[in-house]
Amino acid sequence: MAVQLTVNNQVQNVDADPSTPLLWVLRDHLGMTGTKFGCGLAQCGACTVHIDGIATRSCQVPLEAVAGANITTIEGLAVNSDHVLQKLWVEMNVPQCGYCQTGVLMAAAALLKQVPKPTDQEIDLHVSNICRCGTYPRIRAAIHKAAEMMSA
Amino acid sequence: MGNIEALDRRQFLVTTAVVGGGFSLGLTFGTGEANASLEAPWGKTPAAPEFTPWLSIAADDTITVRVATPEIGNGVMTQAAMTIAEELGCDWTKVRCEFAPPARNLAENGVYAKAGAGLAYFSGRSTVEDRLQLGLQVGASARERLKTAAAQQWKIPVSGVEVANSVLTHKATGRTLTFGQVAAKAAGVKLAQEPTPKPQEEWTLLGKKSVGKINNAAIVNGTAVYGMDVILPGMLYAALKQAPVHGGKLKSYDASKVEKMPGVVAVVVVDPEAPLAELKIPFGMANSAAQHGIAVVAEHYWQAVKALEALPVEWDSGPGGQWKTTSQVYDAARKALDKPGSKVDKEAGDIASLDRQPKIVEATYLTPYSEHAFIEPLNGTALVTADGVEVWHPSQHSENGLWVAAHEAGVAPEKVKFNQTYVGGAFGRRVFGNDLRMVVAVAKKVPGRPVHVIWSREETTRQGRYRHMIAARFKAGLDADGKPQAFLARSASTPGLSGAGLLNTPFAGGQIKNVRYESEMLPLHIMTGPYRGPSYNSYAFMMETFIDECAHACGADPLAYRLKLLEGWDDEGWAKTLKEVAAKAEWGKKLPKGMGQGIAIANWGGNGKPKTGTTVAIVALAEVTTQGALKVHQIDVAFDTGRIVNQDAVHTELVGGTIFGLNMALNEELTIKDGRIVEGNYDTYPTLKIGDIPKINIHFGALTGHDRFAEVGEPPVGPVGPAIGNAIFKATGQRIRQMPFRKLDLAWA
Ligand code: FES
Ligand code: FES
Repeated sequence: MAVQLTVNNQVQNVDADPSTPLLWVLRDHLGMTGTKFGCGLAQCGACTVHIDGIATRSCQVPLEAVAGANITTIEGLAVNSDHVLQKLWVEMNVPQCGYCQTGVLMAAAALLKQVPKPTDQEIDLHVSNICRCGTYPRIRAAIHKAAEMMSA
Repeated sequence: MGNIEALDRRQFLVTTAVVGGGFSLGLTFGTGEANASLEAPWGKTPAAPEFTPWLSIAADDTITVRVATPEIGNGVMTQAAMTIAEELGCDWTKVRCEFAPPARNLAENGVYAKAGAGLAYFSGRSTVEDRLQLGLQVGASARERLKTAAAQQWKIPVSGVEVANSVLTHKATGRTLTFGQVAAKAAGVKLAQEPTPKPQEEWTLLGKKSVGKINNAAIVNGTAVYGMDVILPGMLYAALKQAPVHGGKLKSYDASKVEKMPGVVAVVVVDPEAPLAELKIPFGMANSAAQHGIAVVAEHYWQAVKALEALPVEWDSGPGGQWKTTSQVYDAARKALDKPGSKVDKEAGDIASLDRQPKIVEATYLTPYSEHAFIEPLNGTALVTADGVEVWHPSQHSENGLWVAAHEAGVAPEKVKFNQTYVGGAFGRRVFGNDLRMVVAVAKKVPGRPVHVIWSREETTRQGRYRHMIAARFKAGLDADGKPQAFLARSASTPGLSGAGLLNTPFAGGQIKNVRYESEMLPLHIMTGPYRGPSYNSYAFMMETFIDECAHACGADPLAYRLKLLEGWDDEGWAKTLKEVAAKAEWGKKLPKGMGQGIAIANWGGNGKPKTGTTVAIVALAEVTTQGALKVHQIDVAFDTGRIVNQDAVHTELVGGTIFGLNMALNEELTIKDGRIVEGNYDTYPTLKIGDIPKINIHFGALTGHDRFAEVGEPPVGPVGPAIGNAIFKATGQRIRQMPFRKLDLAWA
């Protein structure tokens, strides 16, 4: 039985084991590899997507739970990938290996939608992704700068 | 857009272009357009005039730089392109990079590097020193050819041609040509003499401009292809389990329990004892050995995972099973220090004079096994056919990978195509290709279809090649002035590590006259390997804590004491980094009780020689509550690499390395139960998050300008831990001699 969901404004019918995590539905069944596998245990945040606007770790969400849901992945975060965060990430040279960064960007984008001018504490709370390369200071600086630019 | 049915992938992907004689498969793009612009960093160069194997320029002005070194996040790709751009005079936005294919190196008789040549060639680490002259020459030689071709077209002397921003201009008439317009002709130009690159003082890019990573855009839009992201026509997935006690064997399994599960294609056993065909290999292969393991191969990844979980498997522990607990291991290591080490790594002067000194300081230290814990789990893809093997891999050493694939698949190296993907962190773990060998070992049992083998996070953690566990005891005899006149070091570790890493200080290099360094190997089964700053990451902690203990024993200020020990050392960079970091961190400022500053200095890459490698000095500001809660408030870092070429890249690497060292010191320890590694995921192997990071200040004022461009990725990892440990001592009076600090009882009253 295919499950219907909407990914980046496209309706998709996915015929897969209903226990398949959304992460692997995206990567393996839909071929969208911008959403990363890191831990499979809600620890690292590399798999973060927006489900009905809420930043969610997609490794924890089975396919059967997202029937009818509206999902946004890094591929659909902004037309031409020109979200202010993406632009600042390049400008401020945030990534090192880069593997964690799409998940970080999805968490940060959801935060800015919810809290247009987040405090350091709000960033700590909402962007709890793991970056083993240690890009955290630049992530924080870029989020603050994005908040400033968006409110200007 | 109408509905797009999620058809079985294979129905879609047969249209993929077949390149290079039917053996090379392109990447495919799943359903829909979302991934149509995947950034695969290999083999996508359109036919374009080539100046050297390192550089092509296409008619549309695209400049392709081929980079032999895998990009592991340290920016080598950008660095390689910058070095060529310095001389080429090109428009930076036209430059793109791809990884140099190791197969070409083989086919063209070492065009990139001699097979098995130094680590910095096809292996991922810093490359400035090794590649600087080469890159500059490639850029200069291509530029002169472009100028010559333009001059020939205009029928003017070459001296009349100017170059900037990928445009050639005839000064006198204002005529212009782009690089692309003359590239085809230029590539064939023969010069009477190759040009000499300009002197460093005239550089306009290197050392002058901070350039962001050239692959940043592909990273932030999700199109950069890491090993995990490889999807190929007809590709299968495999989930893998290896013997949970390293060195153990597969005892039994029952494939019939899972063979009929949906999507399951095969249950595959990896048997490292199965004989392999003889092959003359330019690399040592011991570190790439396969381990006993079992994998389920299925159409979809989740099917493979579920079937592997359901598969009944029993293992033989082998000799490793005798190590029941972590403390049994640590006790054995400490006990080994009670007698002289069987290997003497260095001896100088008269060690017997130690006990005649007026003051003796002695202490024992221990650092645990630690895991690299990068975010991209181990994985790789291989297609084995009757014709050969093609692999796609997030390797840290692509040429080594080619040979591992040939060896394991039993084919001639010429039959291997190795595609280097982006790498989601490596830190030393992905150098030797033992992961790739497992991938090929699985894939060769399912020939004809590409198999993407993925280790779960737990398997990645438990099947690591860890930072070595090391115990060491140091003893120094201090003279009446407090200076160490004699130093005895004994260390105990596990196979693959030599105590020689301890010699990486001025103290072994002549600053202490009477020294003896001994080491002992313990017969432990836990697999080890390079981990960011191998052995240095432990020895710097031990040595710099010990120096602090010596300073304390004679009532000296830790900074002043270190400066005194460095008197007469033929490299002012050491004292300079100490003074710079002390000044910037306001060393010695008054602090409330429970807070303290600690200092440490270490050098990576210098091997105890002056004016070599990178020297890093750190001051940490730490606070410990009476209940023992530790908070690191601030870390100041000063360093001397000699010179630098990209300030922002250096900054970000130093910050990253500092955070890596911080996590290592505070959090990291793998423990052992019945021979197995206990920790599996980030819940039990904690990693700092954004809210845990102290203020980190990188200071550039200690650069000596000595003529070297030493690396920055590994050096900060050493002095972070001891600086914090020494700060804790200052704050509480408790001496820190073991990592990780989070497991120590730091309470004080
Ligand atoms: S992969 Fe989902 S949180 Fe790590
Ligand atoms: S940039 Fe490498 S894990 Fe974050």
